[in-house]
Amino acid sequence: MSTDIKTRSEIGEILYHLTRDRLGLAGLIIVSLIVFSAILAPWIVPYDPIAMNIPDRLQGPSLSHLLGTDQLGRDTFSRVIMGGRVALQVAIPTIAGAISIGLFLGMIAGYGPKWLDTLIVLLFDTLRSFPTVMFALAVVALVGPSLNTVILVIMITSIPTYGRVVRTLTQSLRSSEFITAEKSLGASTTRILGVHILPNVLGPLAVLAAMDIPTVVGLEAGLSFLGMGVKPPTPSWGSLLNDGYSLIRNTPWLIISGGIPLILTTLGFTFLGEALRDVVDPKLRGRGGVK
Amino acid sequence: MNKPVLDIRDLSVSYNTPRGPLRALRNVSMKIPDKKIVGIVGESGCGKSTLISAIIRLMAPNATVGTGEILFKDKNLLDRTTTEMRNLLGVDISMVFQDPMQTHNPVLTVGKQMVDIQYRDSLPKADKRKRAAEMLSKVGIPDADARLNQYPFEFSGGMRQRIAIAMALMAKPSLLIADEPTTALDATLEVQVIKRLRELQEEVGCAILFISHHLGVIAELCDEVVVMYAGEVIEQGSVRDVFHDPAHPYTRALLDCDPGHIKEKTRNLPTIPGEIPDLVDVADGCIFQARCTHVHGACANRPNLQPVNVAHNVACHLNQTEGAV
Repeated sequence: MSTDIKTRSEIGEILYHLTRDRLGLAGLIIVSLIVFSAILAPWIVPYDPIAMNIPDRLQGPSLSHLLGTDQLGRDTFSRVIMGGRVALQVAIPTIAGAISIGLFLGMIAGYGPKWLDTLIVLLFDTLRSFPTVMFALAVVALVGPSLNTVILVIMITSIPTYGRVVRTLTQSLRSSEFITAEKSLGASTTRILGVHILPNVLGPLAVLAAMDIPTVVGLEAGLSFLGMGVKPPTPSWGSLLNDGYSLIRNTPWLIISGGIPLILTTLGFTFLGEALRDVVDPKLRGRGGVK
Repeated sequence: MNKPVLDIRDLSVSYNTPRGPLRALRNVSMKIPDKKIVGIVGESGCGKSTLISAIIRLMAPNATVGTGEILFKDKNLLDRTTTEMRNLLGVDISMVFQDPMQTHNPVLTVGKQMVDIQYRDSLPKADKRKRAAEMLSKVGIPDADARLNQYPFEFSGGMRQRIAIAMALMAKPSLLIADEPTTALDATLEVQVIKRLRELQEEVGCAILFISHHLGVIAELCDEVVVMYAGEVIEQGSVRDVFHDPAHPYTRALLDCDPGHIKEKTRNLPTIPGEIPDLVDVADGCIFQARCTHVHGACANRPNLQPVNVAHNVACHLNQTEGAV
């Protein structure tokens, strides 16, 4: 008998294998950097990110202002850090909401009767047919820009992404032999969905969510760039870009410091997602992806 | 004879197809005596799987039960509600499937699944786990406690099938249905699984309905055998009677095709010429007449199961008109 029967927990197992993958490790480091700086933002920032200081406006990087200042003399570094907080404040509830609703609807569509499936798929397709940005602009025009509007709009348009994946997975699982075996041992529908299908769906969903966070962050930035997202003076990477865009001849620092965190977020979460994909499936674990 | 734990009477099941009803089972009757192992043999499409799905009510959506009753401990399973049926399955009737590579949830550890299967008992989790480990060692998996933490893919096919058996027998059912549980295994593992099944059957004291293509396995394991052909029972009796003195031409042909029975060296394995009849458009008379080498006038009428011996029945006119051929 082999002696290396593992005793680690499921999460421990995933983390262990994640850190052994170079890309996964990079992703994990970048993501934790972003997350911790967002959580600890109020204690990290050297200046109040919305405090104006007109005499010091449009400065380049210096020791007192690491990334310089904007046209109102606000410290860019502080705004970048606080902007990350805003970005995650949008991304996390959005994704959490979209996953929960998508999971619920997707499992019903995949396991339930045909007419319900048709109905839910129709709903998904309708939602997907709205271009997110256009839809967001329309909603914002109606109710005015705010953080909550952004969250709601992006959440609604992200539901089909998750719902469709869950539906397809559920459909292929429902006819698999182990589900039949469970049924033959008397499992009820709730048991089958909750105990057997859910854990099979969660892995791919986690991967999808990790990959989707940059999209949501980007959308938030995009809407804020267009002035339809987070209301000024709340710092956001998008409004940083907007400020920097009009001042690009005077100072490139604004646009650089708004852009780099966006790129890092995209890279970090994508790396993490890619690595997660190889790791969440217990069967592929430790076999090493194609790197 | 023992009181039957399962008594199927005159069961007919058909599938709705675009071409009309496909009569997959026609007036099937069989008894499974308590604590005995009954084997069903027959080629693909003879209705073995339909029979099982009718018993455990996992029928395809287009299947309908025409006539008949399935008496389990004197109560008709067909009259039970879905909930009543669910409470019976996994408790008093359990099932083991054909492909051990597919019968476990791939993302949950074996221990988790074996603990989960006991959800009906209100035991503390540690006790359930202990019971799971006990069951695992009973089916011959060494180091059971540690192996509970492993995923199904970390076990071999034979082990997985034994785990499936352990899970099915966890609640000590009165009837275990095994749908070709050894078909996906190689010969050595097959022997292992059969041996375990036999041991456990004695220990748990359940009856087993064992389905297989493999005549050798049936002969090895079962007390009684039922031969099915194209949705009908054509011969039934004790393994000794049916295998040593087959009365139906189909059974004889089937036994002749078993490579284990062939003594001389041959290039071509024997087959039964012809095809299974179309079950949408079932002809009158004996179901086997198109492929039978002994076909004669009487075959235009459908033969009924008639005793040839004590507890050995056959549906063939040859045995009724002129005795054995």
